[in-house]
Amino acid sequence: MRIRTIALLLILFGTLAVFSPADAQNAPEASERGKEVYEDSCAHCHGVEGRGDGSAAENLLPRPRDFTRGLYKIRSTEAGQLPTDQDLFDIITEGMPGSSMPEWETALSTDDRWQLVAYIKTFYPGFKENETPPKQITLAGKISYAEQSVEIGKELYVELGCVECHGNVGRGDGTSAPTLEDSWGFQTWPANLTQGWTFRGGYDTEDIFKRFIGGIAGSPMPAFEGDSFLNFGLTAEESKRLIELENRDEMTEAEEEESGKFYEKMDAAVDIALTIQEGGEVSAADIQTYNDAMKIVYEKSWHLANYVKSLMPEKRPEPAIGNNVLRSQYVQGALPAIDDAVWETFEARYFPLVGQVVIEPRQFNPTIDGVHVKSFYNDTEVAFLFIWDDRTHTTDETDENTGKTLEDALAVQFPVKVPQGPTAPKPYFLWGGRLPVYLWHWKASMPEQVTELTAKGINNAEVQEVQGELEVQSDYTDGQYKLWVKRALKTEDKKDLQLEPSVFVPIAFSAWDGSNGDVDTKRTMTSWYTFVLEPVPSSRRFVYPPLIAILSVGLLFGLRAFVQRRNSEEV
Amino acid sequence: MKKLSLFTICLIILIGSWVFLRFVVGGIISVPIPSSVIAMYMGLIVIAILVHISVEDSQFREFLRPIHETLVEDRRRIHRRVLVVLIPLFLLGYTYSIIAQRANPPGSPRDAHPSPPLELTYKDEVIGTMQDVVNPYRHYEKDDPEEFKAHVENGRRVYHQNCFVCHGDHLDGQGHFAPYLQPLPANFQDPGIIPNFQESFFFWRIAKGGPGLPAAGTPWDSAMPIWEDTLTKEEIWDVILFLSDYTGYQPRTFGEAH
Repeated sequence: MRIRTIALLLILFGTLAVFSPADAQNAPEASERGKEVYEDSCAHCHGVEGRGDGSAAENLLPRPRDFTRGLYKIRSTEAGQLPTDQDLFDIITEGMPGSSMPEWETALSTDDRWQLVAYIKTFYPGFKENETPPKQITLAGKISYAEQSVEIGKELYVELGCVECHGNVGRGDGTSAPTLEDSWGFQTWPANLTQGWTFRGGYDTEDIFKRFIGGIAGSPMPAFEGDSFLNFGLTAEESKRLIELENRDEMTEAEEEESGKFYEKMDAAVDIALTIQEGGEVSAADIQTYNDAMKIVYEKSWHLANYVKSLMPEKRPEPAIGNNVLRSQYVQGALPAIDDAVWETFEARYFPLVGQVVIEPRQFNPTIDGVHVKSFYNDTEVAFLFIWDDRTHTTDETDENTGKTLEDALAVQFPVKVPQGPTAPKPYFLWGGRLPVYLWHWKASMPEQVTELTAKGINNAEVQEVQGELEVQSDYTDGQYKLWVKRALKTEDKKDLQLEPSVFVPIAFSAWDGSNGDVDTKRTMTSWYTFVLEPVPSSRRFVYPPLIAILSVGLLFGLRAFVQRRNSEEV
Repeated sequence: MKKLSLFTICLIILIGSWVFLRFVVGGIISVPIPSSVIAMYMGLIVIAILVHISVEDSQFREFLRPIHETLVEDRRRIHRRVLVVLIPLFLLGYTYSIIAQRANPPGSPRDAHPSPPLELTYKDEVIGTMQDVVNPYRHYEKDDPEEFKAHVENGRRVYHQNCFVCHGDHLDGQGHFAPYLQPLPANFQDPGIIPNFQESFFFWRIAKGGPGLPAAGTPWDSAMPIWEDTLTKEEIWDVILFLSDYTGYQPRTFGEAH
C-alpha cells in the first residue's frame, strides 16, 4: 500500500517536473500574449519599443534597461555573452534590489513571465542571430569563504584597482566614483559594497563572483578578462613579481628583461582572449594558454568575492519600528565624545531613508540608504551619534540647473511639544504644519555647528533667535559621515524640545547628498520614529523576585504540612 | 494505556487552549491575537474547568487526588523535590521579567477610513457635494470607448510619473519606497479598497493627501502628498480611471448605495 502511494507520488511529481514551465531552459516563441503583458506591466518604464524610455523612466536612477542593445547586467554567462533565458526569467521573477525593478512573481503567472522573456528578446536581433547558446560561467572551482581567502581578496582589491571606484573599505566612495557613466551616458554610482542588499543581482558569494567574470554589461564595471584584468596571463606569483619590479625606482638590466618577458606573455594571452571573444580561429595551444590564464582569473575572483562578502552585514538592518525604538542609555558622569570606544558597545538603531516625493522639487533617486543612530544621556545632558554613508564629501558645489549651492547635510527633527497620549496629534512629518517642529540642522560646510530651527512646513523654517549651546563634532572618512551632537536635557528656550527620561519622543530625519543634487526640498527623509531616554532599571528587580520565590517555598511546605495533618486527623 | 487523571486532562486542556490561541489561531490561521484577548479567553476556560470539577464532591476529590499524592505520598518523593525547586525558580524568573520589562511606546491608533468632508474641493474651488460628484470622464466608458481609453492611458502616465514609487508597479502598495513608510501606502489590489468608496472619495484623498486628513483622523504620519499642488483636476480623475481599469475593481457608485 505504502509503496504504491510513493510510486504514485513519484509519477505525479515526475509529470509535474516535465511539464512545469519553470524548469524549461528556453522561452517559448514570442507571442501576442507576451506583447500584451509587456505593454501592461513593463512599458511604463522600459518603453513600448523597449528603449528604456517609458513615462516613468526620467524619474528613475538607475534607468530602466534599454533592451535594444542586448546589454544585460545580471547574467550567468561569460563576458560579452547574452544572458540565458533563465537569467531573464529570474530577473523578472525576483526583481532587482536597489533599483525600482520589482519582483513579478506575485503579479504575473509563470507562463506570462516566460512569455515576457520571449517578447523582450525580440527587441534585440542578436538573440535570434546567435545560434550557439551563450557560454555559462562555471562555479565548479569555488573557493569557500575563509579568513585566508578574505585576506588574499583584500590584497587583490587594492592590486586590481577596485579601490578607485569602490573606495578603501568599499562604500563606493572611490576617487572616480562621481565621474562614472553607463553606456547610455547616464550617471551611475559604484556599488556600496557594505550594503549587499542593494546589489541588483543578489549578494551571495556566487552572485558576486558571476559579476566579476561576466561583468555588469552597460555599466563601467569591467568583466575580469583579457586586457580589462590586471596582468592577465601571468600566474599569481609572476603578477606579484611584476608589480614589485614596477614599483622600483630603477631596474637593473636583468630585471628589465624579466619584466619585458612578463609583458610578452601578457600580450600574447590578451591577444588570444580578444580573438576568442571575436569568434576567431585559435589553435589548441592557444586555448590551453587562455584556459590557464582564466583559471588564475577565476581563483582571484573567488578570493575577491569572499573579501567583498566580508565587507557587509548578513542582511539589511531592521528599521527602528514597533518596540525597536531608539533608547538612549543612561551613564553616570561625562558623556562619551565622538571617538570614544564606548559607542561601539551600543547597538545602533537604523532609520531607512526614502526620497522626498511630496513637495516639488522632489527626489525620486535617493543615494543615502539610511542613518544609524546611537545615544547616551546623563543627569543633565544627552549625546547622539548619527552615522550615514555618502559616497562623496560635498561642501560647496553649484547646481548646474538652479545655481543653488549643493552640500551634504543632515537634519534631526523633533516636535516642539511631545504629544501627550496615543491620540494626540503629532506635527506633520515633513517639517511640521499647524504644529511646529524643532530641528537640528547640520551642514558639511560648517562641520562643527548645528543650527536650531523651528519649522511649520518644509518651506517654512526659521532659524531660532536664541541658539542653544549645542556641542557638535563630526567626521567624514571613507564614505561615511559621523555626527555627534550634545545638548542639555532642559533649556530656557521655549521653542526647544525639553527632554526627560521615560517619555517617548517622536524623531525624524532628513538628509541631503550634495553630489546627488539634493538641496532644500529635494532630499531623503523618514516619517516619524520614536526615541526615549531609557530610565535606569529599577533596583526593585533584585528585591521582589527572590522574596516571592522564598515565599512560594514556604507556601509549598505549609501546604504539605496542612495536608499531612488533615490526613492524620482523618485516620 | 493508563487512564489520564482528571488533573492531567485539565492541565492539557489549559495548555492546549493557550497554544491553540497563541500559535494556531494567532499565527497559522490569522494575525497574532492581543495578549489581553487571550487572557480573557483563558479566564473563561479556567472558569469552565472550575465549574466542571466542582459539580460533584467526588469529582472534586478526584481532581485533587494527584495534588494530594504529590504533596504527601512517599512514592512521589522525587516529583515533590523537583517541584519544590522548579516552582520557585519559575516565579523568580517570571517576576523578574515583569519588573525588568522595558516600557514600550504607545501604539498609534489607525483610522483606515477617515470620514470625508461634505464638500469636494480642488484647491479652493468647490466641485460639489461629496455624495453627488461623479468622475466627469467615467461616462466615456459607454459613450466613447476611444476617448475613455485615452483618459485611462493618461492616468497610467500620471500614475507612473508620480504614484508608483510608493503604490507599486502592481498597484499593490509595494513600491520601492513603501517598506519604509509608516503607515504603508494603500494597496489598490485589496478588494476592500476600490469597491468600497465613490470616486469622489478617491479624488478627495488624492487632492488633499495626508495633511488633508480630518483632525480626528489618525494617523498623521501619512506620506501621501497634496496632489492638487502638482496635478490638474483632469489628471486626478484620469488616474482614478486607471486605478479601477488596471485592477478591475469598480468604485462604488451612488446608485448602489441605495
